[in-house]
Amino acid sequence: MNAPAVQSRTVAGGFLASAQRYPDRPALAIRDDSLSYAELRERAAAIAATLQRHDTADGPALTGIYGHRSFVAFSGVLGALLRGHGYVPLNPVFPSDRNAAMATRAELRCIVAEAQSLARFEEVLEDIPGPLIVLVPDADDISALADAFPRHRFLARPDLVSASSWHPGEADPDGIAYLLFTSGSTGQPKGVMVAHRNVTSFVDCMADRYGVTEHDRFSQTFDLTFDLSAFDMFVAWERGACVCCPTAQEKLFPSKYIDAHQITIWFSVPSTAVMMSKMRMLKPGKYPSIRYSLFCGEALPVEVAHAFQQAAPESRLENLYGPTELTIACTLYEFDATRTPQQALHGVVPIGEPYPDMRALIVDEALRPVADGEAGELIMTGPQLTLGYWKDEEKTRAAFTVPPDETDVFYRTGDRVLRRAPGEPLLYLGRVDNQIKVQGYRVELGEIEAVIREEADTEVAVALGFPVGSNGVEGIVGFISKADADLEALRQAVRGRLPAYMQPSEIRHIPEFPLNANGKVDRPALLRGLQADAAS
Amino acid sequence: MGEADIKHKLRTWIVDRSKQPDAKDILTDETPIIDSGLLSSLDIAEFVLYIESLLGQEIDIDDLEPEAFTSTNTMYETFFAQGSGSL
Repeated sequence: MNAPAVQSRTVAGGFLASAQRYPDRPALAIRDDSLSYAELRERAAAIAATLQRHDTADGPALTGIYGHRSFVAFSGVLGALLRGHGYVPLNPVFPSDRNAAMATRAELRCIVAEAQSLARFEEVLEDIPGPLIVLVPDADDISALADAFPRHRFLARPDLVSASSWHPGEADPDGIAYLLFTSGSTGQPKGVMVAHRNVTSFVDCMADRYGVTEHDRFSQTFDLTFDLSAFDMFVAWERGACVCCPTAQEKLFPSKYIDAHQITIWFSVPSTAVMMSKMRMLKPGKYPSIRYSLFCGEALPVEVAHAFQQAAPESRLENLYGPTELTIACTLYEFDATRTPQQALHGVVPIGEPYPDMRALIVDEALRPVADGEAGELIMTGPQLTLGYWKDEEKTRAAFTVPPDETDVFYRTGDRVLRRAPGEPLLYLGRVDNQIKVQGYRVELGEIEAVIREEADTEVAVALGFPVGSNGVEGIVGFISKADADLEALRQAVRGRLPAYMQPSEIRHIPEFPLNANGKVDRPALLRGLQADAAS
Repeated sequence: MGEADIKHKLRTWIVDRSKQPDAKDILTDETPIIDSGLLSSLDIAEFVLYIESLLGQEIDIDDLEPEAFTSTNTMYETFFAQGSGSL
C-alpha cells in the first residue's frame, strides 16, 4: 500500500496516505451507505488496474467520469488518478451533446460510467465517433450496449481485475489532475488544465487553515463538473475526513442533511443559502455541528451570510473567490457581523485577501497597476496558476500573460475589483464585461443591481445593458423575481437614487431567474430573452 | 380544485420552470422530477412557495421528507390529498 515518494505530492497521494492511516474510517457517505478508506481505495485501485490492463493505446493521459453523486463517480475519479491519469468530469444531468462534445474535445479513450445512468449515456455514446473503452464497475451485464455500439468496448463488474494488481501510474506534479470544461459564453466549452501541483498547493493551504482532522464531515453540494467539488474531495481525503454527498433529492432539504450527517464543514454556492433562507431553514442555532460555513461561486449578500452565521453559530463563515483557472479558490474573507457591513460594497461580502502564496494585482486596460483606491481588473499569479486551456493556445495566450514590468505569468480573471485603501479587503464589483458604457459614462451593473435589491427588498436582482445600438449600450433593463412588487413604484424609487445615465428604462418581473448548470443566474439567457422580445 | 386541476397546475409549473427543452414530452405524473433533471434543488424552493400559494398556507419544511417531491403524484398525495399527513 506504500506509495512511491512522487505520489505523495499528487492529488491521489493524500488519499492514499489517509487510507493507510485511517483504513476503517469513513471516506465517503451517500444515502444511508458509506465506504471506509480501505473500501474506497479497493474500488478505486480495481478501476485503475482494470483500465491499466485494457487501455494500452497512446494518447492524452485522461479518463472521463460519467456519474452523478454515486460511489462509482467518486471511485472513478480516484481510479483515474491512481492510474496516473487526469480525470475529466462529464455529467449525466447535462444534455448529451454537451457531454459528447467534452469527451470528443478531450480525446477521451476511456470513460468510467455508472450503471444507473446508462440509458442517458447511450445518447452520449452515439455522438462519440472514436473507439472508447467504457467501464461500468457496478453493472453485471452490459452485452446489450456492446451489441448496440460495436465500435466501443465495454467492461463490467465481471471484468474488474483485482485491486492488488494495480501499480501506481506515472504521476508528474506538472501533469493534469483534472481537465474541467467551463461554459464559455460563446461557442465551444473551454477545458481548463489543472495540474497536480496546483491542487496540492490549494489543498495544503485549506487543510491547514481549517485545521481539518479525520473527525470532520464535509458537505459535497457541488457536481463534479463544478470545480468547487475538488475542495470537498481532496481537502477531506488529505486528512482522513469524510465526504458526505447528498443525492439530488436530499439536496432539496439541506437542513435535514446537515443534521443527519452532522456536517462540520459546509460549502455551497450562496444561492443554496438564499434557498434555505426562503424555505425558513436558517433558524438561529439550527446547525450546531458546523465548524466552517464556506461560500464561493457568486456574490454573497451580507444579510444571507448573517442569517447563515446565526443558524450555524459555532461556525466561522468565510467567503471564497476564485476562477477555475486559478484552481478552485484563491482569495478569502472572514465574515464578521460588526465589521463586514462596514466593509461591504452594495451589500455584498468582500472577497478579502489572496491566499498566502498567491499574488494579486489590480490593473487597468494596459495591465498596469491602478492607483490606490481605484477599481480595475484582478490579475493573479502563484502556485495555483493552472496550465491554461486544453489545445487552445490562442485563448491561453490571451488570458495567461506577463504584465508590463513583471516577469511572471498572471491570469486575467475578467473580474473587476476594488481595494478602497491599503489594508482594506478586496471588493468584487462584477465582470469586466458587466461594466458597460452608457452615454460615455462607465456604469457598473452591479451597482444598479444593488440599488434594485435594496429598494425591492429582495435577494436577487439583475441589470443588463439593453438595447445595444451602434454606439454601444442605449439603455438598462432590470429584473426581479419577487412576486408582489409594484414595478412602477420600484422604478421611481430606483430613479431617485441613481444618476440619469444609470437609471433602468424598465424593470421587469420574471417568475424565476434562469440558472446555469452551476446554479448561478444565467445572464446570457436573460439577454437572449430581451433580444427575442424585441425581435417579435 | 379537483385532483386533475391540481396535477395539471403542478405539471405546468414544472414544464415552465424546467431548463430541459423536452420537459413537456417526458413529464408524466410518475416522472421523477429531480432525478430526471427536470428541476434542480434550487427550483424546489420556488416550487414550495408556489404550492403554498395554491394551499393558502405555509408548509413546515422540517416535517417533510424529500420523497414528497419525487413526482407530481407524490406531491399531490403529500400536500393536497384528503387526510394528507403533513398538513
